[in-house]
Amino acid sequence: MAESKHQYAFFLGCIAPNRYPGCESAAIKTSAKVGIELLPLKGAGCCPAPGAFGSIDLNVFYALAARNLVLAEQMNMDITLICNGCYKSIWEVNHILKHNDELRDGVNEVLKEVDMEFKGSIDVWHLAELYYDPKICGVNKLAASVTRPLTGTKIAVHYGCHLMKPGKERHFGDTENPMWIDELVEALGAEAVQYRNKMQCCGAGGGVRGYDLTHSLDITNEKLINVTEVGADAITEVCPFCQLQYDRGQIEIEEKFGKTYGIPVLHFNELLGLAQGMSPQELALDLHGIDCKPFLEKIL
Amino acid sequence: MATEKNYGNPELEAKLRDRYLYTDDTNPEFLNDVKKVSRTIAHMCYQCGTCTGSCPSAPRSSYRIRLFMRRGVLGLEKEALNDPDLWLCTTCYSCTDRCPRDIAPTDVIMAMRNLAFKYDIVPRNFLKTVQLIYTTGHGVPNNDVNRSAREKLGLSRDPPTTHSYPEFMPGIQKIIDHYKLKENADRILAEEGQ
Ligand code: SF4
Ligand code: SF4
Repeated sequence: MAESKHQYAFFLGCIAPNRYPGCESAAIKTSAKVGIELLPLKGAGCCPAPGAFGSIDLNVFYALAARNLVLAEQMNMDITLICNGCYKSIWEVNHILKHNDELRDGVNEVLKEVDMEFKGSIDVWHLAELYYDPKICGVNKLAASVTRPLTGTKIAVHYGCHLMKPGKERHFGDTENPMWIDELVEALGAEAVQYRNKMQCCGAGGGVRGYDLTHSLDITNEKLINVTEVGADAITEVCPFCQLQYDRGQIEIEEKFGKTYGIPVLHFNELLGLAQGMSPQELALDLHGIDCKPFLEKIL
Repeated sequence: MATEKNYGNPELEAKLRDRYLYTDDTNPEFLNDVKKVSRTIAHMCYQCGTCTGSCPSAPRSSYRIRLFMRRGVLGLEKEALNDPDLWLCTTCYSCTDRCPRDIAPTDVIMAMRNLAFKYDIVPRNFLKTVQLIYTTGHGVPNNDVNRSAREKLGLSRDPPTTHSYPEFMPGIQKIIDHYKLKENADRILAEEGQ
């Protein structure tokens, strides 16, 4: 058993547990192998969806995210999560409320009605940044946990928007051509391929997927063209909503635009799970809209 | 001395000489409202267009973020809030990362959407999410196919969220009710005949 000195409250969000449960179980199992322990954050809910809620009433957005944060404060534990959308809500609201007394007082007035108080006593991390952080795990330790290297595969990394942008308010450095997740992918033995307009959005966010599906898919389609151009065997991301957009989106693109790509889409945790020897069944890859077989045949 | 251009059209000439914006449809407070909600320096926009040039929504629609920035500065509230393009921003923050004046155009759009909602202007998919969270705690709730998949993975059939601990639901509902959000969502959807 790996030592578990790094414990976090695991904020699940919605799409991972309720659509791609393989992401959830992969996160728990892969992080355990590098000494990170994820504990359930009981009673958490939607982050809430930054596009949907933030667009309607930012005050509700702040208050509902604060409720989730308080649950972790009560456990006296930092939060980790595996979704960029959740990161936008949970990390950003934590950050805003820690630095803006007026908003914090407003939120606490509402939270009083449910016997809660936001104290600002914890931090929020994306699991991918913990994997990259040498103080917690780091690329070398991650590489050492690999038992089935993904040698010979080409992987296109989709960073998504809400983890790293807006760059000025985050701490990830360059947002035009970042490489740190590419490094994580290469630690698994795969080749991280570079493609045109890598930082472009998947098209799902801001409520656009629900508002105008064709418009949203057209953005996805552009990314798929760019990824195909460089011969990627799979797309990896760190956001189940991006995953849904690429994965289910390819089926919708086929229906709407008559274009077929068939590119498997795997969350970085699923990819790591495969590299650490987990079976496709243990990752529930059969729930994916796009068949992962062509990719699996290259590594199994 | 520079000669004045003449297009030989008195009506057009008069229009071109007029450097002022006359419209009864402006709201001088609009810019302040936008700045208050967005907490960004929206008045600093000098219309360079870097935002529109960075925008994934621009090449495939008539949505222009720079136009909304101008509408904000000019107080063209109705024009901004009634434009269906307002809802085509994916909130990707590319414009925000690149704006040379350090404005967050994304947050300007979010603020305008918040202001539009005060006039009941809102696409219905946003309201459906409110209803789902109010009843389940999740914007994307669990279903039976997923429950059995979870079971096969050795996870609990329902995640350890409000799905497994419904005693947390009243807290969520109280917060949403405080802002009358569910009430308004239900009303707007009912008025539209669902
Ligand atoms: S990039 Fe900034 S300054 Fe330039 S038009 Fe857009 S908002 Fe205005
Ligand atoms: S945040 Fe919105 S307006 Fe800005 S570039 Fe992205 S889609 Fe366009």
